[in-house]
Order: sequence, then structure tokens, then C-alpha cells
Amino acid sequence: MSQSLRPYLTAVRYSLEAALTLSNFSSQEVERHNRPEVEVPNTSAELLLQPMQIARNENDQVLIEPSVNSVRVSIKVKQADEIEQILVHKFTRFLEQRAEAFYILRRVPIKGYSISFLITNYHTETMKTNKLVDFIIEFMEEVDKEISEMKLFLNARARFVAEAYLGEFVY
Amino acid sequence: MLHLDPHNLLLQKTLAEAREAQLAGRPLTLDRIVSDFDYTTFHVSNAPEDKSMLWVSIRSKAYQTVASCGSTYQSYLKDKLEAYPGIQLSSQTEAAYDISLIVDLNKLTQEGVVYLSLLKVLVVSYPFHLAFEEFDRLSKIPVPVDEPPVLSDVLFNIKHRDNEQFFVKPSNDRVTVIFETIFEDETDKIFGKVFLQEFVDARKRNRNIQSSPQVLVSHEPPLEVQNFFNTHRQQAGSDSDQKKYITFVLFPRHFQTSELQFSTICHLALFRNYFHYHIKCSKAYMHSRMRYRVNTFVKVLNRAKLDDEDEEDAENKNGEQEHTRKTISGRKMVY
Amino acid sequence: MNLNPAVVMDNGTGLTKLGFAGNDSPSWIFPTAIATASPSGNKKTGSSATSSSVSGSGTNGSNGSSNPYFGNSTSATNFGGLTGGKMLLSNNLAGKRGTEDLDFYIGNEALVAAQSPSYSLSYPIRHGQVENWDHMERFWENSIFKYLRTEPEDHYFLLTEPPLNPPENREQVAEIFFESFNCAGLYIAVQAVLALAASWTSSKVIDRSLTGTVIDSGDGVTHVIPVAEGYVIGSAIKNIPIAGRDITEFIQSLLRERGEADTSLRTAERIKQEYCYVCPDIVKEFNKFDRQPEKFAQFIVESQEKTKQKVVDVGYERFLAPEIFFNPEIASSDYLTPLPTVVDQTIQACPIDVRKGLYNNIVLSGGSTMFKDFSRRLQRDMKSIVNARISQNEKMTGVKSSGVDVQVISHRKQRNAVWFGGSLLAQTAEFRGYCHTKRDYEEIGPEIVRNFSLFNVM
Repeated sequence: MSQSLRPYLTAVRYSLEAALTLSNFSSQEVERHNRPEVEVPNTSAELLLQPMQIARNENDQVLIEPSVNSVRVSIKVKQADEIEQILVHKFTRFLEQRAEAFYILRRVPIKGYSISFLITNYHTETMKTNKLVDFIIEFMEEVDKEISEMKLFLNARARFVAEAYLGEFVY
Repeated sequence: MLHLDPHNLLLQKTLAEAREAQLAGRPLTLDRIVSDFDYTTFHVSNAPEDKSMLWVSIRSKAYQTVASCGSTYQSYLKDKLEAYPGIQLSSQTEAAYDISLIVDLNKLTQEGVVYLSLLKVLVVSYPFHLAFEEFDRLSKIPVPVDEPPVLSDVLFNIKHRDNEQFFVKPSNDRVTVIFETIFEDETDKIFGKVFLQEFVDARKRNRNIQSSPQVLVSHEPPLEVQNFFNTHRQQAGSDSDQKKYITFVLFPRHFQTSELQFSTICHLALFRNYFHYHIKCSKAYMHSRMRYRVNTFVKVLNRAKLDDEDEEDAENKNGEQEHTRKTISGRKMVY
Repeated sequence: MNLNPAVVMDNGTGLTKLGFAGNDSPSWIFPTAIATASPSGNKKTGSSATSSSVSGSGTNGSNGSSNPYFGNSTSATNFGGLTGGKMLLSNNLAGKRGTEDLDFYIGNEALVAAQSPSYSLSYPIRHGQVENWDHMERFWENSIFKYLRTEPEDHYFLLTEPPLNPPENREQVAEIFFESFNCAGLYIAVQAVLALAASWTSSKVIDRSLTGTVIDSGDGVTHVIPVAEGYVIGSAIKNIPIAGRDITEFIQSLLRERGEADTSLRTAERIKQEYCYVCPDIVKEFNKFDRQPEKFAQFIVESQEKTKQKVVDVGYERFLAPEIFFNPEIASSDYLTPLPTVVDQTIQACPIDVRKGLYNNIVLSGGSTMFKDFSRRLQRDMKSIVNARISQNEKMTGVKSSGVDVQVISHRKQRNAVWFGGSLLAQTAEFRGYCHTKRDYEEIGPEIVRNFSLFNVM
């Protein structure tokens, strides 16, 4: 793990732990509704907390938007070139396609980010908060690793394929 | 599977079965469509009155442009095919197909079956064949040592797909084959770029394949075909800026003998298919990787879930112990 | 204009049928099996074993007619003439790092490859549904590029799915076909509906409706599926745990009881395919056999080297084996409902306004319905059940019934009915209009395949 990654992840961890203090909260506007306030437009100002942005550099960012009963965590995954861009796009789309299994994954990321999670008070009640934070941190670590491994694979495969093809012409 | 086979396995199977059934005295009734890459379709059917005769017809996108490369096409095909017993080029062509063959199953040999399964390659081999001949002619013209190579004005242009074509250009010391490629899919475009770059670099890096053809990739049509593009400007549609040009430079060692020529043609004719096949394989592999990742992520996330066991442990403390018991294997018994 | 024929793929639990629309039979029929390079530590022995075994193969498949991969399979687990690794087509990948995902074989080749220690065999489809998507994706990859030789970008595809397939599975299929393969267009059809369409070739069918009961009996399980106007009535589907394999095993057990010279599963399977038929009355048939000894057949088993021959007598199992559909108690003790009763129950569980249509059009599909006179026996037994109910009803209500016409349809394309139905539908001019295209997929996403418009009835 590189030098700058550790403090970055630590910062995300503490911020998330701080943000994940959620409580059940009924809608102020519609009777018998209970909705994640961070997702609802025109929410009263007191229900939303200050959003936090943690950035390692302009490519690696996390946006945490807390509210009284829900937190939205959006991650921008590093994309150095167009290969990584397409790989990240493919990967996040693949995950979102299976959002059902991930409980906290949002099917659509918010604008400007690669992937978003929405954690509601329901989730913190049925899951252990610190493990949820662990999951997000691990996710951030693994995604970067996976993207670079896939890129390496692509290059290696391309090389192998090209050599195998040209090798057929060696008489 | 790493390499695509030049043989059409299905055509081979169909003909081999027909031949065996004929020899066993139970001729098959056939009316089959078989397909191949690049908009190629075969039609295998019985001759109307005689079941021991088969019609084998081929329709290929490239046929039109290949046939216009030279005037000897029919006789070229005839020579190649009728070298095998039982195969005859028909003078009439089945409707909607380009070439029809009449195959006599009683005379057809196993080698003939294998050769017929290469029919698609044979159809596009004609311009290569002409180019090699032209090379022979040019290379015999003596050239002063420090002059640039003699460029022939012969250029064969084959449209093998809707919006892709390739060129064959002979000169006095080489034959150049230029493929035009375009990608419709965004992902393919990026992957294709990576692959093409490796095609260019492979020869420089790996000493073992130094004698393979040189590969060049460019965005602009290479010099050899620029004249063509200048005169056919109207053909270059709006997507021409997305096209790339891959040049294979064949040296005499790649087409010294007719066997080498044929094997070179086989590989070149499959270049686009091979290339696209491997892009698809990479995507399939990435899907497997991502499936694996999804599983590990879900496992991590499930660790966060409050277990039912924990809850029950809590219940047990409240004195409801008699409601759950565990067997020795850890299963719960619920009453 | 794109004149390329559509590709029709029917991936079943046991066998896969591949081919092109417009053909009258599948081009390839082979086991839905894949042999992948084993990840285990036997790499070293494995690679040396394969490299020695493939050395004799020479140019791929150029052995012409002697190539054993060419024959169409009728069994998912057996493969005629397993001559060891000698015939294995080399892919020159053994032991190369980073290319493990290309090192695999499918179909008959997989069965051969699995005999070497460096490959392990698996069946990616279980109970009609895809279990292992990684393997399935590669199975398709090889089917398309090697066996069918098509560029998926240039072809439309018709795939099949079992009834009650979850929509998530469809989405996964779409993800693979559109993202990995960039196929031009995709249609996913329910197998039972295709089997109904295939029955249109029968002369008995006049109105070409998509209403009917499909009895689909393959190797593992027999389904009875009611279809009304192209929609499967999911709540009424019934399964019977008797199918091809049970019949084979029953024959095998009879052979063993008699102590025949060869009692292998393969022999039993051959006997099933070549000698079995359905009789109208089992007691009379026993008597007939006792009076006419020529009814007994002999089946000759050739050993692999074709040097020794074993003679196996074929007796009562000729009619007893298929009889387990109609009298399950002769073979099993835990499943006792005869097939005609199950079909009747299925139809009775459907809405009352479609029942007439369902009785009227009972369609057979799959290899285990191929027995001679199977349809006649089923029709007779069904009629007697229905008539008994009608007469009872008439007695109780005193109202004369207009009667229910029971018709079981058997036709020549029955064995690969699902594939054939797909081929019929995919060659129509309208087919492409019903497909979802790559562009639709990119605009809307995988959920697009949750809905397919039904084929209009011609």
C-alpha cells in the first residue's frame, strides 16, 4: 500500500464512522412515509448535515453526504487513461446490475462519481456499523487493485495474442 | 481455443457425413445452410434428380470485389477445385449465391472434403494469388541499387464487410496487405487499440518471431493506398476518421512456395476474425473476474449482517433456552 | 442487406443443439459439457500428459470422416468410441500462464479431454437453468466461434430458456451476449412455446395457435407445461421424476437380473433407442411374447476393438421400459402417478376457459417421447380419464356435455422439437422485429430482455 493511501483510507474510515449515526425518522411532509432524507429533494435544512469531501487527488475522491436517517457515500475511482476509464465503467455497471445482493449499493451513481452507496438507518439496524465501514474501505482498496490487474491482464493478453498470431508466419 | 481454424468444421462435417452415407448406400437428404465469418453462407443441397450429387453454393460479401480483381477468376477457381476428384465448378449458379459447385459424392475423397471446407479462404485467395504473380514479374525487373523500390500501379481492393475493406499491393521486394478496421462498440474500440499496439510491438520484442511480417498501424490511409482514397473520396463516409489501417508487410520468405502462400493467405484472411475473437474472449474473461469479485464483496458485506445466531443467543439469555437446541453438527432444532 | 441466417441455440441440461434458422435439424448436437484446465497442482504431470497425447493429431480435424466429434450425440454422458486422448485437438495452450481461460473444450471434445488428468469436466446447466455463468459464457464463446463459425456481430440469436426462468438469469444472458459478444440481436424464447410451434408441421394441426400442453421429456426430468396463447401458465406446471435416464436404468436392472453378458449403461441405452415401444395392454403383450418367440430380439455388443462380440437378449423390456411412464410402480416405489393422470391434473389446474384448448393440443417434445405408439397410448388413457369425468358429471347434473376432444400430437421433428420450433420462428421475416438489438440494449440496459413481444400467430 502506498504512502498516501493509508492516511486517505483512515480519513474516510473516521469520517464514515462519524457519519453513520442514524436514527429512524418519519417524513415531515408525507404521513406514514419514511424515506432516506438525503435522497429527497427539498428536504428541510436541519435534516441534512454538512457533506464531506475527502480527496487524495483529483482522481481519487470520496463524497459523504450525511443526513438524519441516511448517508450517501460516493466514490470516484482512479481513472488514469481511457483503458481504466472503460474498465471502471464496466466494473461498476456490473456491480450495479447486481445491486440486489449488495443491499447498500445505489443502482445509479451520483453525477461525477463512479459508484454510490446509500446506507439508511434500516441498514445500520440490521448490520454492524463498523463492519459496514470495513466493507467500504475494503471495497475502495480492492477496486483499485482489480482495475489495475484487469489492465495488466489486457496488456498481457494482447501481447500473447499478437505474438501467437505472428508466430504463425514464422516458417 | 487460441487459433481459429481456417477449415469450416461444420461444412466439413456435413460433407463428410453425406459422403459416408452415400458410400454406405443410404444417401442423405440434405438442404442445409452453413455459415462462416464475414457474411459468408454456404448452401448444401441435393441435386434435384440424383441424390449422389450435391450442390454446394457459397455466397460471400467479398465475392463482387474479388471477382473484379482480374479476368482469370473462374479458371483460377476451376483449376484449384477440380484438382480434386468429384468436384466440379458449375456453369449455372444457384439464385442468391455467388459460386456453385457440383460434388459427386461417389468420387469425392477425404482430402476433397477437407479442401471444400476451405472454400471461403479459396474465394478470397485470388487477389493474393495475383499479387504474388505480379511480385514475381516486378522482382525480375532489375533495379538500380539506390533507387526507391518500384511501386506497381496494381492495387487490389476487397470489400469483405459492410464498412471494412482490405487492400493487397505488390511491389518488387514485398507484398503489402492493408486492413481497414472500425469498431462499433466503445469498449471494443479501446481494447482494439491495446491489441493493435501489441501487434506492432510484438515483432520488436520477441526474437523468435522476427521473421514474421512487419505490422504497422496508422490513422491515416498508408501511402500505398492514398491514391485510392483520393480517387474514391465519396466512399470514405463520415466514419472514416474512426477507421484505422493495419499494414502487414509480407516479405518474399512468406510466399516462396505455394504451400507457404496458402498458409499465409489463410492466416491473413482470418486476421479480422482472430482479432475480434480475442477481444471477445478478453471481455468474457473479465466477466469471470468480475463475477468472482462480486462474490467476495458480497461475502465481506454479509459479514456485517447481524447473525440470526447472535439474536438467538441474546434470546437464550432471556431464559428461552428450551426453544432452540443444536445437533452435534451445529444445526438447529426448532420446535 | 444482412442476409445472414439467425443462429438458434437450445442449451439443455444434457444436450446442446446448435444450428441456423431455416435448417430442418440442428447442425450440432453435443453434451452441454465443458472441460476446463484443472487449477490444481498436477499441472506438471498434466501438461506432459497432454503434450504427449496430442502429438499425433497433426492438422486440426483434417482426418476427414474418421473424426469422431462429428456424430450427433444422443446421450449427455456417453460418447461413442472414446479412444483416449489420441484424438484430442490440440490447442497448444497447456501450461502457458495467463491463458488458462482459453484452455478448455466443450461438447464431445470435453468428454475426451476430461479423461486426461489436467482437465476437469463440468456441466454448466443444472435442471434447465444455468448454474455456472463463467463456464456457460465460455461454452457459448466456443460454440459460436468454433462450431458455428459466425461473427456474433453479424447474426441475430434465438436462445431458449426453461419455463419459470428468473428474469435475472435472462439479464445475465443479455449481459453476456451483448457485452461480451456484441451480438446484433437477441430473442429468448421459452422452450415449451417453441415446442408448440414445432408441432405446426404435423398434419393434425390446423389452426397454428400457441395454446396447448407440452410434454417435454429429456434425460433428467419430464415437464408438463400448459401454454395459453403463448404464455406459460406457471402455476400449473408439473414435473415428473421419470425420464430417459430412469428408463435406461430400468432396462439395465432387468438385464442384470437376467444375468446378460453385457449390462453396461451404454448397452441399455442402445436397447432403449432401438428396440423399445409402447404397447396398448401390458398383459396381452406378455402373452403375445410368450406365443411368438420371434418378438424377442438380440442385440449384439461389439467390443471396442471390434474383435469380440457379446450377444444380449432383449425381451420384455422392449415394452416394459416405456411402460414406467404409464405404470410407474413397476420401476419405482416412491413415485406412483401415471403420466396421463399428471397431464390431466395439470390441465385441471388451469383456468377453465383454456382447458378445452389444452386438451385439444397435447404436444410431445424431447427424446424420451420418441417411443413408437407413445402418443396413441397417451391419447387413449387421457380420453378414458376425461370421459369418465364427463359421464360422472352428466350423471350428477343431468346436463348433457358437449364433450372434450383429446388430441395428442406426435410429429417427425419431435426429438429436437424445441430447436426446430426456434428454427421455424427465427426464419420468418418478422423475427428481427421481435428481437432486441444491441442499440436497444445500450440505451435501456439489461432489463430490456425482461420482455419480449410474442410471435404473432400466422
